[in-house]
Amino acid sequence: MALTDCLPMKSRVMEQRLRREAEALLEQGKVDWIIGFEAGSLRFTTTPLITDDKDDTKRLVVSPFANNNLSVYLTGIKGRVAIVAKGCDSRSIVSLIQDGKVARQDVVIIGVPCSGIIDLAKVEGLVGRDRDEIDDIVREGDKVSITFSGDKREYPAGEVLFDNCLACELPTPQEYDILLGEPTAARGDEEKTKSREKINSLEGVKPDERWAFWRNEFSRCIRCYACRNVCPACFCERCFVEEAEPPWVLPIPRWQDNLVFQVTRNIHVAGRCTDCGECDRACPVRIPLRSLAREMYDIVGGLFSYRAGTDKEVPPLLTCYEPTDVEDFIR
Amino acid sequence: MTARKIAKKHIADLLNEWRQGFNVFVPSRDEGVAKWARWDGGDAEFLEWYRNTVVPPKALFFPPLEEMFSFHKDGDGYRVEQPPPAEERWLIFGIRPCDARALAVLDLNFKEGYEDLYYLKRRENGVLVGLGCTRPYESCFCTSLGIGPTDAADVDLMLTDIGAYFLVEAVTDRGEELLGKTSLVHAATGADEARAEEARKAAGARVTRKIDSQGISEKLRASFEDKGFWERVSAKCISCGICTFLCPTCYCFDISDELVKRHGARFRSWDSCAFSLYTKMPMENPRREKWRRLRQKVCHKYEFYPDSFDVIACTGCGRCIRLCPVNWDITWVLSSLPVQKQVGLET
Repeated sequence: MALTDCLPMKSRVMEQRLRREAEALLEQGKVDWIIGFEAGSLRFTTTPLITDDKDDTKRLVVSPFANNNLSVYLTGIKGRVAIVAKGCDSRSIVSLIQDGKVARQDVVIIGVPCSGIIDLAKVEGLVGRDRDEIDDIVREGDKVSITFSGDKREYPAGEVLFDNCLACELPTPQEYDILLGEPTAARGDEEKTKSREKINSLEGVKPDERWAFWRNEFSRCIRCYACRNVCPACFCERCFVEEAEPPWVLPIPRWQDNLVFQVTRNIHVAGRCTDCGECDRACPVRIPLRSLAREMYDIVGGLFSYRAGTDKEVPPLLTCYEPTDVEDFIR
Repeated sequence: MTARKIAKKHIADLLNEWRQGFNVFVPSRDEGVAKWARWDGGDAEFLEWYRNTVVPPKALFFPPLEEMFSFHKDGDGYRVEQPPPAEERWLIFGIRPCDARALAVLDLNFKEGYEDLYYLKRRENGVLVGLGCTRPYESCFCTSLGIGPTDAADVDLMLTDIGAYFLVEAVTDRGEELLGKTSLVHAATGADEARAEEARKAAGARVTRKIDSQGISEKLRASFEDKGFWERVSAKCISCGICTFLCPTCYCFDISDELVKRHGARFRSWDSCAFSLYTKMPMENPRREKWRRLRQKVCHKYEFYPDSFDVIACTGCGRCIRLCPVNWDITWVLSSLPVQKQVGLET
């Protein structure tokens, strides 16, 4: 089944335009590389396509399953790049520009107005089948129909989109060179509230219960560093966790070390994290990392009225201060 | 040896009987993540959902973290203490044929490559009860590596799903011993055996992902210097440790010491050739670029391991494919290897 079959007409039009634009950019020598998505090798997946060959642009897709934040590849690539970006991804690109990791003139941002990405784990939970045992998942407007064992069921899209998509404030890229379609609206307040339920319930419990919760979660961590490596904001060439002299934490999967690693990582990406949800999705043992990431995102918003990656002209949040700051520790 | 059978509804009872003589491990779920856990004597509900675990059973024999020994400052010197011995006798119930084969593959390194006493002790004390696959994943490709999803070759006792019963075959003497005392197992009929044969064929047919493993070492050898190819196929890899840590045949480890005041310990933990700091401690990582590290991973499994031990160090369990956050697919890389292309020297 081609991924394109799952697409409504609007997305198919976007996809055709994406292929034309990408091919032209390579052909005219405006960029050296295209970073986009192509159909993945498993059902309902896409996979990053990184190419300098214009013939490959025929494989580019626009898909409701395109979950990766491709901006993670920008710092490792030489030359000028055209990159496909959803709302959150474009903010990560802006954040990289703010940090001086990417030069604006070297990037052509092909913005995709995003309607939210389908969370296969939620789909599995709804229908009680593993993803490879589902015949079809089709997004039509704000409904998603799921077919399995000859049975077709329809659900509101809000029930199967990733939590970070439900909470997304800017689904349409604000920073772009080409925008592939009409801007999309953010989800309603009710869904935004719902997307925070897990975090609210954690905030609501006593500290020792919360500690017990995270202790159990981080006991599963295998320290594969997928959360860090998929994160565009984690751009350090050498992570603090790999420093041996002095060793801040041991590189061993002990829950205490795992927790220190993740908490420190969250502090390092504060003001850079755009709540793209990649850390959470990448975790093979399903530690709810977005609960930490989003909490930090909201703390940053509450304390500094700052939203990562929305203004390429301002300095990164944690590299600057205001003399008029109400806190006096800096003076 | 005549085959026997056991009713599925009696599996929990059988596990309870075995628990008298063994520490029994079964598939379990922790926040939705399938892993191995000590049998708690409840019902065998895992039979309903179990396909395979995220963390492979290698973790039971070669744990993600283990203390090798501890040391304590004692006057001017150090006193070294061995950790308490591993499980006395233990039984892994439900291991899949791909993962059981993976242990046989690991044995070669840990026994013939060098004698890894930590691993070998656990292996010696462990009994494997296999459970044939009836629902392989779309990412599974065991049949391309000479393994059937219901193969009994690498376990002590093998169970095959025949409806309300499992057909039970003792493969080794240790397996036969497991059946010695129980009254829950009965003689199977010819019809049961025929049903098992059908189940085996059906399971094999459900594995649809294929690679051509013939001559793959030679193809890899020929493409070793093809930097362009390896750069292309590694471009999207994010160099995390998922595919190696969760691979049932990967065995690299790192060693760390920790000293707090007068007490310390030496730990070993899983390491990955995907990491840029791999082997950094003893010298340098000779594979600074991502494409070299990824090439190492593929070649180790399909070229170097066969060179050393005459067996491919991949059993087609598919974890590296279904757990990869960017859908990097080893079957896609193996099937796109350049064929006998003239290539220049690596630069």
